[in-house]
Amino acid sequence: MYKVMIIDDEKSLRNLLKNIIEREKLDLVVVGEAEGSIEAINTIDDIRPDIAFVDIKMPFMDGIELSKIIINRYPDMQIVILTAFNDFEYARKCVGIGVCEYLLKPIVRADIRNTLIKIIEDLNAKKTYTKEIIKESYEEICKSDTIDNIKLYIEGNYLKPDLNVAAIAQEFGFNASYLSRLFKAETEIKLIDYITECRMKKAIDFAKKGTLMYVTAKNVGIPDPNYFGKCFKKYTNKSYSEYKKIICKSNNII
Amino acid sequence: MKVKKDFIRSWFYNKKLKEKIRVLFLVLVMTHIATFFLTYYFIKKNMLDYMLDSNYNTMISIGNNLNVEFEAVDTMSKLIMTNSNVLKYLRANEYGKFISSHDAIMAMYEISNMFNHVSSIYIFKNKRDYIHISNQITYINTDLIFSSDWQDEIIKNKGLYVIRVNGDGAFEKRSGDLVISFIRIINDIDTQMPIGIIAINLNDNILEKTYKDMVSTDRNFGYFDDNKSLLIGNYEFEKLIEIDMLNDEYKQFIKQDIGSATIASYYNISGMPFVLAQTGRITFLKYFSDQAIGVSLIFIILSIVCLCVIGVFLFVYIAKPIDILMQYVDIVKKGWTKKNTKNEYLTSKKIKELSISKSTLIEVNEIINELINKEREMQKAELEILQEQINPHFLYNTLGTIADLALQLSNDKLYDAVETLGNFYRKFLSKGSKEVSIEEEVSIVKDYLKLQKLRYSEVFEDEYDIDEDLLGIKVPKLILQPLVENSLYHGIRLKGEKGTIKISIYSKDNKMYIVVFDTGIGMSKQQINQIMKEDDKKSFGFKRTIERIRYYYNEEDVFEIVSQEGAYCKVIIKVPL
Repeated sequence: MYKVMIIDDEKSLRNLLKNIIEREKLDLVVVGEAEGSIEAINTIDDIRPDIAFVDIKMPFMDGIELSKIIINRYPDMQIVILTAFNDFEYARKCVGIGVCEYLLKPIVRADIRNTLIKIIEDLNAKKTYTKEIIKESYEEICKSDTIDNIKLYIEGNYLKPDLNVAAIAQEFGFNASYLSRLFKAETEIKLIDYITECRMKKAIDFAKKGTLMYVTAKNVGIPDPNYFGKCFKKYTNKSYSEYKKIICKSNNII
Repeated sequence: MKVKKDFIRSWFYNKKLKEKIRVLFLVLVMTHIATFFLTYYFIKKNMLDYMLDSNYNTMISIGNNLNVEFEAVDTMSKLIMTNSNVLKYLRANEYGKFISSHDAIMAMYEISNMFNHVSSIYIFKNKRDYIHISNQITYINTDLIFSSDWQDEIIKNKGLYVIRVNGDGAFEKRSGDLVISFIRIINDIDTQMPIGIIAINLNDNILEKTYKDMVSTDRNFGYFDDNKSLLIGNYEFEKLIEIDMLNDEYKQFIKQDIGSATIASYYNISGMPFVLAQTGRITFLKYFSDQAIGVSLIFIILSIVCLCVIGVFLFVYIAKPIDILMQYVDIVKKGWTKKNTKNEYLTSKKIKELSISKSTLIEVNEIINELINKEREMQKAELEILQEQINPHFLYNTLGTIADLALQLSNDKLYDAVETLGNFYRKFLSKGSKEVSIEEEVSIVKDYLKLQKLRYSEVFEDEYDIDEDLLGIKVPKLILQPLVENSLYHGIRLKGEKGTIKISIYSKDNKMYIVVFDTGIGMSKQQINQIMKEDDKKSFGFKRTIERIRYYYNEEDVFEIVSQEGAYCKVIIKVPL
């Protein structure tokens, strides 16, 4: 059973793809979806899919940029680019970065099936090979120092939209899942949530100054205002505009 | 004859301008030369006629001269015959012989001195007696003279004279020169009985004298005797005159040479054993003055040179440039878009030869290219606008949404339809490559027919028979779909009963055949002929498809339609592999 993540800004396409994958009964499960590249970067560490469908044409960060990041950080992950014929020239660039599979829009079941069968075969072959290598090194290191360093690193790099657990793990030379567990154990908060929290605190500062949401979003490292909105609401239980209104009112009262 | 004339006319019209000028030029030169020769011929003929005429007159007058000479000799003989001393000698008996012969000889001297040409005179008495006078030493054959053979003719002629060359062998000059013997019988005046024979031997200059005044470098005369042997004159006569022919009274022979002619003629002088012969040479040019010949020669040469110059001028400056222009026009006709080597060659090398205006033609070339480019860009822009209007992203996403809805409703049939439509448009609208593989081309048609079946499932069946080796062959995009659409809409649907559309692709003789067969209403011969006509709006799609195929393969003969009205229609596309 392999995990699949679908990254596309069209909800209907995500649904359609999910439906088709489930109907084809290929021993696959769709475990996550993302509306855009930014959301994908921030959620992919939790999801850890084996296969990612990436739409090539997305706002804020296109599928090619995302694919580059994924290939860099998750070398075992299989990427399937979704493209319309029109973008074919565009899609050809992907060859250079190591993406192997394409699906042409509008998607057709036969194509999806053939592509997925091929990928599953590849994964099966790799799995037997990599299983033995994965050994987590539980070295006794100075945990509190590491956590502090990580927090400092986040403080300094939250503006980068591609900052996520894997990026930090790579930076500090850890296995990503080990780092997550370590961070959770030490701070009682998930590392990815800590990053978001960090960004949201900055965002609240901007909100207080009355900055427009899309500007704030850019200034805290989540340049996709839709995803930023989601995160902000999750963190403050209010939408950015509501929050701004309240702040303004209280300022006026004072 | 008329056919031949038409043939020549059409042959001439079909020739290239260059060749026409060549032919005209040739005809002109030929006419010129022919005129020259005709003129020469007529002048020559007139001259010859004149010469022949004057020759005849000359011969007659020479003949008359000879007759006059002999009349003088006749007179002389009569004077001698009637001389009393001579008569005395002839009448005398043997005893008074000596005295009377002396007187007779003296008389003969006296008389002969009054006349010219006399070589010797003999008077024969019967019984081998004779007297003679002579200016040159002459041998005499008395045996022959006194034989009856020799005398018979003379006696028979009674008093009339006989002329014999060398007296038929009786006389011979010591010098070897000829003598002409004038012989007659002498009758006694009183008794009218023959008493002797007189022979006057004349020098051959008597003959020569008759024509002496008329001899020139171009004209010669001579005499033959009746035995056809030459008496006096040049030996060339024997070559020129066919001796056997001497029987006629007068005859001429003409031997033609370039620029001259030799005329030989002979004349049998009546009553004499002589044939007068004449050779004359006419040099025609001699009758023109040197200046006239020079002027006409210069004229002829100048006119030929003029013709040549004009011909060359026409050829180089008019015919050839036009020819090159025509080639240009041909290339323009075939399309400037194809940058072939021939085109390059023409623009660079040949235009230099044109020299009328290289830059003009290149400008025209550039203007045309510019126009073509503009037109092409316009078309491209229009196409892009069209494609933008269709907006594949919107279409695809919408199709995806509908497909999703269908899946949510678990409506598989609907989902299938939407998926097929999406697949069809994905291939149909794809831009970029203008050529696709047979496999893709067939799959477009399959999707198309699958969608059409949603609407017309009761109307048709589709079948495919495709050579799998050909699946990878590239063809211009969307050449099959318009044909299939025609089969459906103009063939099967109009028939009202269920039909079949069959697509076969196979190769034969290094050609690929793409056949769309339908069991529709078919087409009449007239309709088939009409289909490629420009003004037929109904077949617009078909025409454009064929034109694209022709353009792509650069071949004219790419399709064939076989049909039987009411039964079937078969469109066969054949393209090189």
